[in-house]
Amino acid sequence: MRPSIEEQLQGTCRVLENVVAPCVNDPMARTMLDGLIANLRMLISAYPAVPGFLRQDNENTVQLLATLASSLPAELTSRVADILKMPEPDPVDVAALDARNASLRELLAQAVCIEGLSADHQRAILQHMSKRASRVPMRYVATAPSLPSCEKI
Amino acid sequence: MDEKIFTRQADTVKGDKSTSSERIVAGLQAMITDAIPTAHHFAFTGVERFAGGLSRENWSIDATWVDTAGAQSRHLMLMRDASGTLLDTDRKREFGVLKALEATPVPTPKAYWMDEDGHWLGAPSLVMDRMPGQCEYLVLNGTRPLDDRLKLARSFTDLMANIHAIDWRALGLGEVLDIPTDSPSRVELAHWEAEYRRVQLEPHPELDYVLDWLGLNAPKAQAIVLVHGDFKPGNALIEGEHISAKLDWETAHLGDPLEDLGWVTNPVRKREHQIPGHWERQEIVAAYRDLTGRTVREADLLWWNVFSCWKLSVIQLTAVAEFVAGRYNRVFQTPTWLYRPMFQMMATAESAHSADSTDCALSAGSQS
Repeated sequence: MRPSIEEQLQGTCRVLENVVAPCVNDPMARTMLDGLIANLRMLISAYPAVPGFLRQDNENTVQLLATLASSLPAELTSRVADILKMPEPDPVDVAALDARNASLRELLAQAVCIEGLSADHQRAILQHMSKRASRVPMRYVATAPSLPSCEKI
Repeated sequence: MDEKIFTRQADTVKGDKSTSSERIVAGLQAMITDAIPTAHHFAFTGVERFAGGLSRENWSIDATWVDTAGAQSRHLMLMRDASGTLLDTDRKREFGVLKALEATPVPTPKAYWMDEDGHWLGAPSLVMDRMPGQCEYLVLNGTRPLDDRLKLARSFTDLMANIHAIDWRALGLGEVLDIPTDSPSRVELAHWEAEYRRVQLEPHPELDYVLDWLGLNAPKAQAIVLVHGDFKPGNALIEGEHISAKLDWETAHLGDPLEDLGWVTNPVRKREHQIPGHWERQEIVAAYRDLTGRTVREADLLWWNVFSCWKLSVIQLTAVAEFVAGRYNRVFQTPTWLYRPMFQMMATAESAHSADSTDCALSAGSQS
């Protein structure tokens, strides 16, 4: 399908930067526009990586919950067992992958705060969270306020 | 300028959250008229909204009028709550802090009027003197010569120590701000946990994990002081080689002095607060120790460093929630970039805690 999603987003950024931005004189509006363009550019590379990230994260979270299950209270263990029985969603259904991810992470949020987890479990939790943080595709893109505004203060 | 026109505009601005320079001017005139009933012959020039400020609109306005004391002229800064905001703070408290600080050497703008509930300006607002100087949030790593930047870096630490040395009881700040009834670390954690739960759109096991650690390791305070709450060069004005004003007191509160020190030694914000190889964590802490005579336990400071990152995470999640709700116009993401630094500092703090047998911590309020 042409233009592809990437081509459309790239083209939108180009038009915003070359046509719209030069006509925006209000410093606040220009700062916001710069931020939106930067975010769009981030999405161009990040969006294709989202389904793969969710599939991998669901798999990793399932593994971690299974590892922790023996140390969890009965009620939480039961909920973990239930969710682990559920089939993985269609790998191209991003909404279903996202919903599954939220369910798994809700259980994980409770599991990681349980008292008395062993040092091995603590290490596994930190390893999982650190790796996930390094793989998350969508990241904030900082943009500075347009300079003239600051200089006028 | 025609007073009747402004009076009519002032009537329409009440409760109107939209923003335009005409509405701001009309609201300001109405507010001044309410405060100074004899004021007349108003003129407002140089009305301009600045681009900076993530939680509030900042307006620069030059105002003149005539009242019983004669012709008046003010260079004003009007700070108005944005429709979507990252910090849900109270203008009355901020106004009280600014009024109290006028009696101290801390350079702050003189606060004139407050619109506590947005009656005049459509959203809660403060009007204060516009101070001289420039806002340079990366001044310590900018183009100035190293010696100048080092002087400024020391001045920032001096300023922090001066704020912490303020006799807040004598200034009446105990009536304006809440006096912590528990350890300040626990009070702040409870406040920001409530914010976290309020804005959370999805599960964040990483932030729950860190929150749990913070709760288990909360330090006691050596003293209760006035804490700025967002101490950084970006919240100051610099004129030449001097700090001409410390701004943005909306998060000021009574708390642990290490909270501000933890904010400026937070490793994720090195570019704002440190000069590589010259003014780093060690130098900042040593200068603060010398200035205040306080002991700074590494484990306690690391706790406040972790808390700073966690608080920053909650502020970013607020932005996410406000953007999704259509009230905030900048896009933020879940702050995953803060997770690994927090985990590393937690591990370091636990090592420091077991290595540091010095226990200078007193109960909260014992030196208040």
